[in-house]
Amino acid sequence: MADAPLMQSLGRLRKSGLTALFGYALLALVAVWLIVNFAKDPKEFIQVGLIGLTNGLIFGLVALGYTLVYGILQLINFAHGDVFALSGLVASTMIVSWLGLDKDASVIAILGGMLLTLVVIMALFALVNVTIEFVAYRRLRSAPRLAALITAVGMSFIVQNVSLAMYDVNYRSVPSFIPRSEAFNIAGISYSWNKLAVVVITLPVLALLTWFVTSTKQGKAMRAVAQDTEASAMMGINVNRTISVTFAIAGALAGAAAIVYLLQFNMRYDTGFELGLIAFTAAVLGGIGNLSGAVVGALVIGFIQAFNEGLSWHTPGSDWTRSIVFGILIAILVFRPEGLLGERTPEGA
Amino acid sequence: MNFSRRGWLSVLALFVAALALVAAGCGGDDESSGGGGGTTEATGGGGGGGIEALPSSSCTAVEYKGEGDADVLLASDFPLQGSSRTQTIQIVEAIRYLLEQSNYKAGDHNVAYQSCDDATAQAGKWDSGKCSTNAQAYAGNEKVVGVIGTFNSGCAAIEIPVLNQAPGGGVAMISPANTYVCLTEGGPGCDATEPDKYYPSGSRNYARVVAHDAYQGAAVAEFAKEQGVTSVYILNDKEAYGLGVATNFKNAAAAVGIKVAGFEAWDPKASSYEALFRKIGGTAADAIFLGGLIDENGAQVIKDKVAVLGPNDGKVKLFAPDGFTTQQTIDEAPEATPGMFLSVAGVPIDEFKGKGAEFAEAFKPRLGGKNIDPYAIYGAQAAQVMLDAIAASDGSRGDVIAKMFATKVTDSYLGTFGINENGDPSGAEGAVVGFTIYKATDKLETVKTVSPKPENVEAARG
Amino acid sequence: MVDRVRGIELDQNLLKRFALPLAAILLAVFYSSYVDSLQDLPAIGDFVPSVNSMVIMIVFTMMAVGLNIVVGYAGLLDLGYVAFYAAGAYMAAWFASQQFDQWTFHFGSVGISKAVPGLHLSIWLVLLMAGLFTMIVGILIGLPTLRLRGDYLAIVTLGFGEIVPQFVRNGDNVFGFDLTHGTFGISPIDSPGFGSVGDSLGLPLSYQQSFDRAKWFYWTALALLLLTVFCSVRLRDSRLGRAWIAIREDETAAAAMGVPLMRTKTWSYALGAFFGGVAGAFYASFKQGAFPADFYFNISVFLLCMVILGGMGSVWGALVGGMILGYLNVEGLATIGSKFNEAGVHFDPTKYQFGIYGVIIVLMMLFRPTGLITERRHKQEIELGVADTPLYDVTHEGSDTDREAHND
Repeated sequence: MADAPLMQSLGRLRKSGLTALFGYALLALVAVWLIVNFAKDPKEFIQVGLIGLTNGLIFGLVALGYTLVYGILQLINFAHGDVFALSGLVASTMIVSWLGLDKDASVIAILGGMLLTLVVIMALFALVNVTIEFVAYRRLRSAPRLAALITAVGMSFIVQNVSLAMYDVNYRSVPSFIPRSEAFNIAGISYSWNKLAVVVITLPVLALLTWFVTSTKQGKAMRAVAQDTEASAMMGINVNRTISVTFAIAGALAGAAAIVYLLQFNMRYDTGFELGLIAFTAAVLGGIGNLSGAVVGALVIGFIQAFNEGLSWHTPGSDWTRSIVFGILIAILVFRPEGLLGERTPEGA
Repeated sequence: MNFSRRGWLSVLALFVAALALVAAGCGGDDESSGGGGGTTEATGGGGGGGIEALPSSSCTAVEYKGEGDADVLLASDFPLQGSSRTQTIQIVEAIRYLLEQSNYKAGDHNVAYQSCDDATAQAGKWDSGKCSTNAQAYAGNEKVVGVIGTFNSGCAAIEIPVLNQAPGGGVAMISPANTYVCLTEGGPGCDATEPDKYYPSGSRNYARVVAHDAYQGAAVAEFAKEQGVTSVYILNDKEAYGLGVATNFKNAAAAVGIKVAGFEAWDPKASSYEALFRKIGGTAADAIFLGGLIDENGAQVIKDKVAVLGPNDGKVKLFAPDGFTTQQTIDEAPEATPGMFLSVAGVPIDEFKGKGAEFAEAFKPRLGGKNIDPYAIYGAQAAQVMLDAIAASDGSRGDVIAKMFATKVTDSYLGTFGINENGDPSGAEGAVVGFTIYKATDKLETVKTVSPKPENVEAARG
Repeated sequence: MVDRVRGIELDQNLLKRFALPLAAILLAVFYSSYVDSLQDLPAIGDFVPSVNSMVIMIVFTMMAVGLNIVVGYAGLLDLGYVAFYAAGAYMAAWFASQQFDQWTFHFGSVGISKAVPGLHLSIWLVLLMAGLFTMIVGILIGLPTLRLRGDYLAIVTLGFGEIVPQFVRNGDNVFGFDLTHGTFGISPIDSPGFGSVGDSLGLPLSYQQSFDRAKWFYWTALALLLLTVFCSVRLRDSRLGRAWIAIREDETAAAAMGVPLMRTKTWSYALGAFFGGVAGAFYASFKQGAFPADFYFNISVFLLCMVILGGMGSVWGALVGGMILGYLNVEGLATIGSKFNEAGVHFDPTKYQFGIYGVIIVLMMLFRPTGLITERRHKQEIELGVADTPLYDVTHEGSDTDREAHND
């Protein structure tokens, strides 16, 4: 076996022709499948697509947390999904027990309560995430990369069990104080209030994040550290603080995601594990380290999931959703490690 | 490795985290074992004498408060954690009650008791590994002559063959709750190797005091027909029980003239089922049947059904079998459950007559104010059959099995019935054959009791 | 004088190399005969594991030793080892049960009538087949993925670890064919035994029908474990083993020295998988069933935790780590919990077992990354740093110094 770099890249070139062909054939099949389904019942197709869009946005918020941390530390922060779940559970307590919101509350109470919960949970879990980084990851920055990854897996179990200890195994939810009734109905296509709330919360958060990363000094520092830690340290950037800020943002995003998740779904201590894997897949799909990629990847995953479960013509069905998602994860990592939007870097070699 | 100041800080923080976990754990446990007579506290008074205890990893300490030394051991096997807990702790408590009433004696035998748990805290439901380990422990402990359990048919399918092959002629097992048909009898709806594969020794060791799901499927189908259902979409959780009851219902529905619009599984690990219900909406079904357990993310399924297809008393009705028939279901989805129909074997608790009603009356004070669950009475009945079998036997495993199959129950908690050679209740009168349909409001409200027609039961089998 | 000193040294060496392991093996072999008296001891008696528990502990330890080949020797993080366990268990389920009742084939089956439908091969043969099949699965998973960088590889293995259980769960209808029998799992699975030939020698015909079931399973498990450890040690000291360690330490240098990367990595995968498969098949036979719910991510991490606790790369470490955590998992935590309960404190450590493993993982990685039993080379790597960046990862060339720079 020849393992000289030249030979391997040659081999990859030769293989990539076949791979690409296979990939395009698969994409074409998916396209045909989508078109036929659309033609059979366009209204239903769009309706299902809207479900995918909403779920995709939630995945996106979580995926951003993975991608931010990965971009700066090259660390897959396994604990992120579990921080998401814990923040959701705490949010449910806050909404139900402390604020006492229910569906009979006045609009102002609901809006105020939601905003308050959002701010408190985002701040609290920003702090939690920073603490996790400080306690578990900081010491390992110079250790072999796998050491940090293994630690992250360990942290994930710890956070998950804190959730289990605090909330037991039962599912938690909040009363539907944001009604699940129709917000609008255009030509038979309806969209419910609680889904609209997801969009209303998610889009400003995304805008804020984009502005932060591109326009503020701290955001620029983050990008600099992500590109070259050593050089940015030489330029006077406080690397430790920048990394802490990154973890804080990721934690806050997890908190926001958990609240919008809670508006639609039940949560329990291990919700974060499954959802974390899906979100991570989304981040990889979009090109890990790439912010807009994470959102695009999440939307794609959201659509795939919804179409797989909701369309009627030749769908594998909900039984296979997770296999499909992880299949995508593997395929992307093996065939196109840079993701959909990523540039081809030697990263994934 | 240099232990800098930060290093120690990290250690400190980790320990704080660990402590927090422990502290929170204590709190959580207090909460969950507060009511209904905790299962773990009872450590027993007298100890078991010459009895070797079953492992503490799943079982309580030996409970024996009779005179002298115990000579046989009775075990019960239920999921004592998770959503089923509300029902299973009442069964365990009912067994304890019976033992105390009889002063831990069955005939000439002194019976010690251990309550074992087949659920894990992580899953919040029964666990195949635990079922298997427990069964091996019963089989390997020669003092164990009888097992009361299990709650879930999937777990029973694992335990029966192990107990069947146990040394000394097998261990007798009786369940108050398993309803999967093919555990006891074969037929078109079962695998070709069922039920024989559960009994590798060739002889039977398992019985139940509850009518199997062919009855439930038929009862719900008849009731659905009455409600004007014309087309039903059936979902299942793929587990032995859920898939079994869904299949029985499918067959029965076809027999009573309801169209089956679809038959599909739901994935308990999914977060959302809205897309699934969109698809169901496209089939124009006017009812949905959920074959499965509330533990399988059932609350989210119900919520999404209502979100997509409207309330349960509206255009699309919702039916669920006994895997959902518990207050827990309503508590987990209080806004979505109203109007859904739930069924369970037996008559409603206030319609039990004779010995059943007496038991309910006497048993109530032990529940600390909670409502008595029908399963408590089934549990008492199963325990009574087992204790009678032990009393009539010479104390050997084989003889307990023989006597269990010879049981004739007259005017007992569930009425009058025998155990046929398959281990099913036969010649039954009274509570044991009926199915109660409840409608969910903020609690379970009785709608009616259905005794399914024999031809529909036959059809439901497959 | 000099000679005498050398003689003592030699003796100590002998003692260390042979006497200690021999004593340990002897103690283990006769465990079942003194376990009862141990359990009667005051105070600590309750903490002594039963023979049945020992079987499970040994099975998991076997898997840990197998995983150590992948993670410890070759430095490839595998977060989906449970897939191999599943593959082994289902091999036993297919070839030693009534699952395929459309065929009836018996070969060396013990304790069951020849008329029983299904494939029934001798469990001894099935163990070997399971190992080989799992090896093939390992190669199939490995070939496309092993050229990925460490953390990507971890994620891909995790992906496989998630897909396999779902496939098993949904495999009751593979184009109309019932392959895995869905969530029901496949049970009962035949038991090992020595048949009528063994019967005449005083060996049990079938373990299941023997009153000494636990003991026989225990001795068999012990034999399998010893075999695994022996192979593992021999592999480590072989040419292949040295190649693994070279790759773990510095892929680029290893490749430059002529170590074939892909082939060497794939071998580590295949061999690690082999032991996982044998252990899985044996465990399925012990449990008499294979169920999809058994194969979840936590098991992979549990095994990983064993390897980390013991010391990555150290066989003895994997043994010790495996036995300690195996004990905690099977019995220890529950016993501790019941002691808590007796003391009136309601705390159930089994509920938080994975949290406890998480704490162990994090603490070990932070403060003793070489594990309880340190492997010399691995210690050097930790102290001196390794070039764990792959061959083509130019952005991070010389990353050790980069990372040191901003550590404080």
